[in-house]
Amino acid sequence: MSAVTASATHAGPLRVLLQNRVVTLSIVVLGIFAIAAIFAPYLTPYQPNGLSMRERLLPPSSEHWAGTDELGRDIFTRLIYAGRVSLAVGLGVAALASVFGVVLGILAGFFSRLDPAISRLLDAMMAFPDVLLAIALLAAFGGSLLNLIIALAIVFTPRIARVVRASSLVVRELTYVEAARALGVSTPRILFHHVFRNITSPIIVQATFIFAAAMLSEAGLSFLGIGIDPSMPTWGVMISAGRQYIDTAGWLILFPGLAITICVVALQLTGDGLRDALDPRIRKSI
Amino acid sequence: MVSYLRTRLLGMVLTVLIVLVFVFFIARLAPGDPAELLLGPDASAADAEALRERMGLNLPVPVQFLSFLGQLLRGDLGTSIFYRQPVLEVMAARAEPTILLTLMSLAIAVTIALPIGIYGAYRRGGAFDQGAVAVAMLAAALPNFWVGLLLQKYLGTDLGWFPVSGYGNPDASIWERVQHLVLPSIALGFAQSAIILRFSRASMLDVLGDDYIRTARSKGISERRVVLRHALRNALIPIVTVIGLSFALLISGAVITERVFNLPGVGSLIVGAVLRRDYPLIQAALIVVAALYILVNFLIDMIYLAIDPRVKY
Amino acid sequence: MRKLVLLLATASSLCLSGGAFAAGTMNVALIGEVDTLDPMISTKAVVNMVTQHFYETLYALDESWEPQPLLAAGPPEYSNGDKTIRIPLRTGIKFHDGSDMTSADVVDSLNRWLEVSPRAKEFKPLVKTITADGDDAIVIELTDSYAPLLSLLSFPSAPPVVVPQEIISADQLTATVGTGPYTLAEYKPDQYMRATRFDGYQSPEGAPSFLAGERQQNLDEIRFIPVPDANTRMEGLASGQFDYADGIQIENYDRLLESDATEPVLMEDAFAPNFALNHKAGLMTNPDLRKAVQYALAPEDMLLAAVGNDVFFEADGALYPKGHVWHNEAGVEEYNVNDPARAKQHLDAGGYDGTPLRILTSHQYEFHFKMAEVAKFYLENAGFKVELVVVDWATLGEKRNDPKEWDIYITHSPFLPDPAINQLLSADSNIGWSDPEKDAALKELATETDLEARKEIFAHIQELYFRDVPYIKVGNISELRGSRKGVTGVPLGPWMVFWNAKLPD
Repeated sequence: MSAVTASATHAGPLRVLLQNRVVTLSIVVLGIFAIAAIFAPYLTPYQPNGLSMRERLLPPSSEHWAGTDELGRDIFTRLIYAGRVSLAVGLGVAALASVFGVVLGILAGFFSRLDPAISRLLDAMMAFPDVLLAIALLAAFGGSLLNLIIALAIVFTPRIARVVRASSLVVRELTYVEAARALGVSTPRILFHHVFRNITSPIIVQATFIFAAAMLSEAGLSFLGIGIDPSMPTWGVMISAGRQYIDTAGWLILFPGLAITICVVALQLTGDGLRDALDPRIRKSI
Repeated sequence: MVSYLRTRLLGMVLTVLIVLVFVFFIARLAPGDPAELLLGPDASAADAEALRERMGLNLPVPVQFLSFLGQLLRGDLGTSIFYRQPVLEVMAARAEPTILLTLMSLAIAVTIALPIGIYGAYRRGGAFDQGAVAVAMLAAALPNFWVGLLLQKYLGTDLGWFPVSGYGNPDASIWERVQHLVLPSIALGFAQSAIILRFSRASMLDVLGDDYIRTARSKGISERRVVLRHALRNALIPIVTVIGLSFALLISGAVITERVFNLPGVGSLIVGAVLRRDYPLIQAALIVVAALYILVNFLIDMIYLAIDPRVKY
Repeated sequence: MRKLVLLLATASSLCLSGGAFAAGTMNVALIGEVDTLDPMISTKAVVNMVTQHFYETLYALDESWEPQPLLAAGPPEYSNGDKTIRIPLRTGIKFHDGSDMTSADVVDSLNRWLEVSPRAKEFKPLVKTITADGDDAIVIELTDSYAPLLSLLSFPSAPPVVVPQEIISADQLTATVGTGPYTLAEYKPDQYMRATRFDGYQSPEGAPSFLAGERQQNLDEIRFIPVPDANTRMEGLASGQFDYADGIQIENYDRLLESDATEPVLMEDAFAPNFALNHKAGLMTNPDLRKAVQYALAPEDMLLAAVGNDVFFEADGALYPKGHVWHNEAGVEEYNVNDPARAKQHLDAGGYDGTPLRILTSHQYEFHFKMAEVAKFYLENAGFKVELVVVDWATLGEKRNDPKEWDIYITHSPFLPDPAINQLLSADSNIGWSDPEKDAALKELATETDLEARKEIFAHIQELYFRDVPYIKVGNISELRGSRKGVTGVPLGPWMVFWNAKLPD
């Protein structure tokens, strides 16, 4: 079971990661998205909600790089502001799902009495298709940014929880963990020192994929009109609102769609790269 | 074997129970009022209250839950508030487009992805393989409603090859209905193909590395025969699983795709039910979908058990 | 693969160009699902439009929105200071189930309508009794005279339709059995509804005029098909799948006009969007802040955002459009001020402390949400902090009944045949506009019977409306429908009806 500690001793996962040019490019792309989101107000002279009815549905030009929408708002400006929300949703869901997943996974993995109940609960959650479960939860909570993040976090929790549970089961049986327990080291301490440290790599990898999946789900839910308050633009909201202009002003849906796609591809490539770098056991076959 | 089956079945029952509790309370937590929707924009609080009373929406929640369980035991999933028909009938009436859409998109995905994935694995690392992996990556990253909208515009409206949306007139033949499903199936199948491609490629790579393939090759059996007879057959076993598992993904996709293409299927029924706060219908739809998923996975495990000699419980 | 695509493509174009259906069957694309088949409980246009083919009222509106007898045999006979109204009934009328319509059916139907209809609320407290007067008349006894009675009896929005006693229940009607020219043959929710000719139908007489006059039943069958997406309705009309389509986007006007296969049907001043202000709780109970909202808004931009084209709306603040019998200009100078400085003065005078103004709206009505976005922009321009609360309609319907949940909500309404039945003006609406002067005038409007005197009373009410700002009528919006070229006999009005429709040969 030496592999469990491999990532800790493995020399420079970051270097392995950056050796892959595709992954480097993906990280650069994600960085650009992040910078654009953070510095949005400095990157554009327009306001995201600054409407001007006389300038509606203008095609892309030097003044409006991505054109204007049905209320005369600058689409490029809205894209970078929408990126804030879309990325926040992805990040928030990944973080929250990790927290939920780690708690449930460790509880299930370490306390065998809780395991059946938690495992059944995870099974039950996995029995609902992602979008359907999110819809049901949002119908119950009501649509808002925070509720959307919570709902999607719940949807993706089992993915983390299963990984963590499996790792915890393995760690629990390790001789040095048994030894620590025999020496009277408290359970929380064991959990933190031995288990949590050993599962960070798979969690980071899973969280990256969840980040991507959450962004896609958010877009889909916004399209259905069930997710977010549409006055807060996300890329999904922008596509949804622009759909009726697809024949007359295709740029309304073209650019936000591209933004989602590029971002998700970059995240997936980064996730793949992270998996290879952090966990050398896994062949890059899948 | 028998004890495995027993635990497996018990687990299934427990899971279904959790699903039931979950589903019931989810529907009850929901804000919004089905009565308001029937009354329209010009109605008042008193009108809504009166209608709620008449619809039995004012009973205490525990009472509603008990009657919900009691009805379930009798195989009665309730009556839709909106359609005023038993929910199972409502869903059955909408099953055809969803089933056809699921099958057609699965067929498209498998037809495209399986050969590409297997050939890619065989030529691992080559230009074809890398291209295929890149396209799969892209396919998984495209929002499927966006793909749907673009297909509608270019293949539907501009080129006029396929009906843009809907499911045809009431008297449309099955052939016409199938045509209406072409674009939605492509949109849904495209995303699906990404997973099947990656999985079949991985599965084939796995098998190609196995000892018996090496043995077969060393025996001088023709390459064609090695790949098609020996490797492919074994690679297909795990692929069957992923096709089964993709059921959940297809349903998720169908919810959105049916909305884009205005198909009267179960997916759009569910979204409509949420927007209308049709509790019995939301409950029933979630229960049916979850139960199907649990059942499908159980069957896959059983098939796996039957066809794969390496798996023993 | 390419071969397959080509094959499918050829086949599909063949089928689409076919498009021929049995003569006498008309396919009508609706903007959405018919939510309920019980017309009495719903004010939704799509419900009332479809159910008019199955159910009939005692009176029906003609082109000038004057009530004409439908199931009634003639005009009502007033006595006892207009407090007793006798309505003679036509005889020999059959329900779809073959039974005869009796005065008892009419009495029970009207009583149920009083209980369930959102439109009957103002009227209900005035009703002492409704009784049968022999087999061919009913008598309504009122506590006070009520001028809008006939308008109310004929207005096809949550209307008093006549149904057989047997299908009346506390909940919704238990069957779809009326006296109308068409019967419900088949209903597949979300897919289509087939209405077929009722052979036992007894048509009223007189030249057809909007909803009144002869009902010829030219079509064998009408198919109502819910198509929620506007693009799909347009494409379906262009390809011949539909003969008539409701709610076509204004951008398609020229396309409908230029095509050989279609023609546009434009209904000017079809309805008005309204911003309702909360007079019961919150920011909008402060008259200065209401004024600030009124002066800050830019109705033209809001309408442009809602409609998408500047030809198909009228930035008109008067409560009834020009040319309408109830139109007047009292107080309209308060409309379309769009002056942030004046708004700011009232904001300061009202002591605005930066509490966010909550605008409750639903994205299920896309144009409501678009107007909200524009309104937010202009309100913020004037110094308000604005929070859009965007929910689905089911939630909005619930929230607007709780005064603590909102400051403004967005709705829309057709022009009512009589201003006395306008709920938003009444003190017990969810807005809660209460003003002694207005309440007295409203009472007078309901009881006065002379039309000229009533017009003056209404002009006074409109002036108070502009002064107190119970709600803000944003303007008049036109509606575009599409028709297959050569379709005739569909009257222009808020409700599409097809009993006199004819398909081209």
